[in-house]
This record gives sequence, structure tokens and C-alpha cells, in this order.
Amino acid sequence: MIELIAQVIVAGILLGGVFALIASGLNIIFGVVRIINFAHGELVMLGMYATFFLHSIWGIDPYLSILAVAPALFLVGVIVQRLVIQPILDASAISKIFATVGLSLVLMNFALILFGGDFRSVRTSYSDSTIGIGPINVNIPRLIAFVVALVLFAGLYSLLRYTFIGKAFQAVAEDRSTAQLMGIRVERLYLLAFGLGAALAGVAGALLMPFATVYPTVGISYTLIAFVVVVLGGLGNMTGTLLGGLIIGLTDSFSATFLSPSLSTATYFVLFVVVLLVRPSGLFGKGKGTEEVGLR
Amino acid sequence: MKHRSSLLLALAALLVLAVVPVFVRGIFIQGIFISIFFYTGLTAAWNIPVFGGKLSLGQAGFFGLGAYTAAILYVDYGIVPWIGAFAAILVALLGALVLTPSLILLRGPFFTLASLAFAEVLRLVAIYWRGLTGGSTGISIPFEPGWQNLTFETNVPFYYISLMLAATSVGISYTIYRRAFGYHLRAAASDEEAAQALGINTSRSHVVAFLWSAGITGMLGAFYAFYLYTLEPNTFFSLALFSLQPALNGIIGGMGTVWGPVLGSAVMTPLAEFLRIYLGDVQEGLNFLIYGLVLILVVQTIPGGIVSVLSRLSRRLGFRSEEASAKRGNDK
Amino acid sequence: MSGLRIEDLAKSFGGVIAVDGVSFEVGEGEIVGLIGPNGAGKTTVFNLISGLFPPSRGRIYLADTDITSLPAHRRSLLGVGRTFQVVRTFTEMTVLENVMVPALARDHDLREAREASLEILERVGLHDQAFSSTHNLTLAQRKRLEVARALAAKPKVLLLDEVLAGLNPAEVSQALPLIPQIREDGVSVLVIEHLMTALMSVSERVLVLDQGELIASGTPDEVANDSKVIKAYLGDEAASA
Repeated sequence: MIELIAQVIVAGILLGGVFALIASGLNIIFGVVRIINFAHGELVMLGMYATFFLHSIWGIDPYLSILAVAPALFLVGVIVQRLVIQPILDASAISKIFATVGLSLVLMNFALILFGGDFRSVRTSYSDSTIGIGPINVNIPRLIAFVVALVLFAGLYSLLRYTFIGKAFQAVAEDRSTAQLMGIRVERLYLLAFGLGAALAGVAGALLMPFATVYPTVGISYTLIAFVVVVLGGLGNMTGTLLGGLIIGLTDSFSATFLSPSLSTATYFVLFVVVLLVRPSGLFGKGKGTEEVGLR
Repeated sequence: MKHRSSLLLALAALLVLAVVPVFVRGIFIQGIFISIFFYTGLTAAWNIPVFGGKLSLGQAGFFGLGAYTAAILYVDYGIVPWIGAFAAILVALLGALVLTPSLILLRGPFFTLASLAFAEVLRLVAIYWRGLTGGSTGISIPFEPGWQNLTFETNVPFYYISLMLAATSVGISYTIYRRAFGYHLRAAASDEEAAQALGINTSRSHVVAFLWSAGITGMLGAFYAFYLYTLEPNTFFSLALFSLQPALNGIIGGMGTVWGPVLGSAVMTPLAEFLRIYLGDVQEGLNFLIYGLVLILVVQTIPGGIVSVLSRLSRRLGFRSEEASAKRGNDK
Repeated sequence: MSGLRIEDLAKSFGGVIAVDGVSFEVGEGEIVGLIGPNGAGKTTVFNLISGLFPPSRGRIYLADTDITSLPAHRRSLLGVGRTFQVVRTFTEMTVLENVMVPALARDHDLREAREASLEILERVGLHDQAFSSTHNLTLAQRKRLEVARALAAKPKVLLLDEVLAGLNPAEVSQALPLIPQIREDGVSVLVIEHLMTALMSVSERVLVLDQGELIASGTPDEVANDSKVIKAYLGDEAASA
């Protein structure tokens, strides 16, 4: 029994890393563009499909395909920002929600029409390989996903803290008009932020493919996960996002093992509600700009 | 008073609609009308929290709760649906209470997502709790015609019932909008903190608006259960049918206004039916793709919906000056 | 009998101390000015009084009632009124509807609210714009609307936050007489203003804040000649001159 629990914990943590990566994309988009992207899960879905097709048509290894998926999703993000988000930057809050909900519908059904509703997965030679760490067997693709996710997460953190772009992001996040006055090309930054957020989501999708399944509506779960992680960890709070991701990963792992896989949505929601009742600002405190969007 | 004219118009429309079944005998067209009325009611109910700036996508949850409550009470306990409808409202209100912390503590997209997840969870519960709900197989309401059983041999009684339900829902939203409560909500929507600084308990306002919305939706669900007489989780808790569609109707008609939901439902319901029949067959998902595009385009071009377009048009055509239309502003 | 009294009020945001142990009193019907260099904490004091966020320390009394733990809307109902530095009118509503909102928060009679609001609009000189959308107003008019709206809430204490900012001299001289008028209703007025001459001319007493602390208090003349005040604004050299 203890071994089972240890197994579940490890699986949860590994998955949590990827969840944190997905949520970090949502955070960047929110932090800079001030938009909560309802279609974020669909970006993950697109990354997953891209990985699937690169593998099934040209036999490209999922991890290698990240080199193509990342820029492709970056481009998608830029296009979305330009065509969908830019025109409504000053619209009402409800309008913004509707815009990304509409986007979510478009992407989801675009996938349904183009790829069909079948469940697709990628199976490689190492899909089921495990490595033994003590008494626990760790699935290799999940381990790789976790490590890569963490590396990217750390990279993102450094980008935000130490590079000019990162500082520009923070400037725009704090005070859009002043940043503009200081010569920062805010609109370009928005394109960059959305592209980056989308790329992160897409890469997460690629990392997930070796052990997950993709179908047109899979995005909904990932959007929910991203949202819950962000609420848990505090919007705009990077460390919080990481910890939040791990918590949701653990929740997913435990509920899938001890309850039922299809009840994960229910468990996240219950967790969501409980956290809200106990600590509305998230477990780890707020980042910047949370007041505007909620989370008092 | 000038704003009475829109009420008179509405009354006239009601009278006209009341006479329609005399001339229109086709079951299919009667069914379309019934759909329009149910959706008008749903959209008007969805729209009430929108007065306060809150977007809920959890209506499917209240709809299903109401439907299943009334159906279960009738099928398992013999309770007449007219009474069951009250129980349905109560259960829907209880469901709404679960969401009130999210409503108060979160603004914008996070509450919207919470409401969505709420509806989804209820759908899953309905599927898994077979003992109560019959699971995926659902519940079948036995065919015993009679007014007390809310079961009929033709569509005509439901035509009038749904028309009355729609009128009730729109009537409630109209009353809320025009009274002090409506002002509280609109102020909160415009600037929550400024509204509080003026003495409005915005949290309470949002909760009350949300409860009205949930209660009406639950009631509509109860009646719809007996209209369709077969319940099944994926239909009655369908996000697409009962959360998204009303929202879509609302935004196209003009959200946050009283007549927007009416216009939106009148236009969109037949259109949605058309899209579903002709495009749903051609290609699965095409109609939803179009919905998504429509949402994006409407939000970018006419965020105020049909109502705002009509308003601008009537001003352009010189029917009223801007000030006069502001004076009439209350009867939107 | 005091209109407003704050005791040892303090607020920190994270590590930053915005307000540090401020105490003062504003009597009934008194007009008190609140000045200080940028970042001194003036608007934070207003936010604490109106209840936008809780203080880290201290108590706030409205007509001797402790309102420190009351939420913003309750304070408003008890008599705390304010305008905002950046005008926050309800843009989706007409001018008249804006003014009706606080009246309707207290009493649900629409007709009475309408009449009372039209009267207030008359007082501030916006009667002709009653049915306009707020988009058509000039900045000066919008500031008057803020004041009108705050007055409709029947305040006992009115906090005016830079009500003259952004107005040209003509507009300022038109707007200024409003302030003593308000006092005539027995309302205590606390005014934040950067336009020194305007503020000094209308205040009976002036409080000076610098870096979160109250550094001077007295008549306009006394404060203008106080070396601490001069130093706060202009630096050491000016003070010793």
C-alpha cells in the first residue's frame, strides 16, 4: 500500500510539472496582455495534434518535434493576439471572456472537422519504459516531460527576471501607459507575450503526447487545469504556479487511482471551491494585477 | 409615460403570439415557437446577472437540476409537476448557493469558469449516480395525458405554457432592470468600487441577481422535462444547449438590456435549428465553429448586439435625438 | 462633536509604509485641506477612511461611531462620501442616472430619487446635461458629476480628492465656490488639492502629510510659513532661506 501511494505521489508530481508549464503560459498572457485565455487548453491540444502528425506521418520523435511545435504555436499565438485579442483590448470584461470562449469553440471544432473525433496517441519505443528509483517505477516519458517542463519553467523565470524583454513585460504588466510613454512598443510586446504563452502550451502538449491521448475536446480539461493551478498558486505568481501545478498533479493522480479517471474534473472543481472559501487569494498570495481580474 | 410604449408593444406581441396556434397547425413550426419561447426565458434569466456584469456559463447546471428534480419527484413519488416545479426552483437555488462564494470572491473569467465547471460536475454526477438519475439511460416520463401531469397529446398546451414562462422570465428581468435594484446592478457593472463607495452592497446585489437567474432557469428546466418527457444527462446538462446557446442569444441580441434576450432568441433559435439540421449533417462541429466565429465577430464589431444597432439606426434616421433616447434609456 | 476623527492610522503595503500613525480630527461643517508632496500618502488616507482597504493599525470614527471594521458600502450609508482622483463615473449610465444611484442605495423610490438628483444637478450646474451620456461631458463637468453623485449620498463627511486637477483657471474659479456651499449643509469637508492658492483660500485649517506622517497642522498661513512644510516640498535649502 505504501508503495502504491508512493507511486501515485511520484506520478502526480511528474504530471504536476507539466501542468505548471501550461499554467505559466496562461500567466504570461494574463500578466502582460491582461486577458484570461479561455482557449488556452486548445493551444495545448494543437501542440498535441502537431506532435501526433509529425510522428505518424514522418516518424519524428515527439521530443524532437518540439523544435517545430514551439515556433508553430508561437506563430498561432501571435496570430490570435493580432486578430482576436487586439481589437477588443479596451472592450468590457464580459466581451473579452466571450472572445476567448469563441476562440476556444473555433479551435476545438476546427480540430474536430480537420482531424475527426477519434482519440489519437503516440506510442514510441520507450513509451512504456520505466526506470527504477528505489522501490518505485518511474515511467520514462513522464520523467522526461517533468524535467523538460522544469527546465523551461526555470528558463521562463530567468527570462522574466534578468532579460530586457522580461523587464519590459513587467513594466507593461505594472503600468501600460507609462511603459508606452517610455518607448516600449506595447503592441509588439503583446504579440510576443501571447506567442510565448502559446508556445509554452504547445510544448507542454508535445511533452504530454508520449503518454496522453488527444481528441478535439481535450482542451477543455487543460484549460480547467490551468485555471485551477493559477487560482491555487496566485495569478502572476511564478513559484505559486509551480507549487499549484504540483498540487493539481497530485490531486489528479490520487483521484484517478482511488476514485475514477473521469471524476478528475469534479475533484479539481471541489478543490477550486474549497481553496476559494479558505484562501481566495490563492494559497501562495497574489502576483501583480490580480485585483483587475478578480481574486481579491 | 414614454417607456410604457415598449410595454404596450410587448403586450401587443403577446396577444399576436397567443393567436398564432390557431393558424399554425404544423407540429414542426409549433415546436420552433416553443423552442423560441423556452430560449427567450433562458436567455432573459441568464441576462439578469449580466446587468451586474457577471457572466455565468453554468445555466445548464440549474436547468438540469430543475428538470431532474421535477421528473424524479413525479416518476418516483407521484408528485404533480406543478408542485414539482417549486421544488425544482428550490433545488436550483441551493445549487446557486454553492456558487455564491465564487461569485463574490472572483470577478470575471474565474467566476465564469467556476460556473462552467459547476455545470460539468453536475452532468457527471447525473451520469454516475445511477440510483437517483438513471445514469446515462436517463429517466422516461410515462405518457399519461392530463393537465395535472403536464403531459399532452398535442404541442398546443406547451405552446401557451412556454409563452407564459418566457413572459414571466422577461417580465422579471424587466422589473429588476427598472427598479432601484437594476440601478445597483448597473452601477456595480460599471465600477464596482465606486458603487460600494456610494453605499451599494454589490456582493449582495450580485447574489440576489444570480439567485433569480438560477431559480427561473430551474423552473424552465422542470417544464422542459415534461415537454421532452425523456431526460438524459448529456441533453439536460448540455453546456452547448443550455449554457452557451442562451449566452450566444444574449450577446447577439444585446446583453445587459431587457429586450436583447428576446430579439436574440427570436433570431438565433430558428437559425441554430437551421444550422444544426443542415450543417450538423454535412459536417459535425461546423455549426459550433460558426458559433465561435460569430462570437468573436460580434464582440469585435457590435458588442451591444442587435439592440445597439437598432438604437443607433433610429437615431441616425432621426427618429429621436440622443438626449431623448437617453431619457428613454430606461426601457431598453 | 466631531465629524471625522482618525487615531494612529497606519497602512503598509508589503514592506512599504504608506501611512504611519496619522491622527487628526475634522469638525462638523469644517473645511480642512490635506496637502503634501507626491507620494505622501494623502490618497491612501482617503482610501482608508472610505474603506477601500483595511488599515494596518488605528481607528476611524465617524461622528464618534467606530467605523474601522465596516465595509465600504456601510461607511457610505453611515455618511462617508468621497470623490476619486481619477474620475470614476458610471459610463454606461446617463448623468442623471449616475446621481440617482446613491439615492437609490438608500431609498427605493425612483420618483423621489429622480427629483432629488435633478436638484443636486442644478446646484452643481449640470442640470442641462441631465440626460446626456457621460461620454459627452468635459473633464470639468465630469468632476462636477463626481461631486454631485457624492452629495446625493447625503454624506456627513465628504472627501474631495483633487477635484480641481486638470481644470483650467476659468474652470477652477467656477468650481471652487462649490466647496464652501457643501459645508453649509453641515458636511465636514476634507480636501486634497495640489493647487495651493485654491486650497488655502477655501480651507479653515490645513494638515500636511509627508512620507506618511503628519508633519504640520494649523491655519493656512501658519502652515505656509512652517519650515518643516517648506522643507518637505522644496528641500533643506529653501527651508533655511
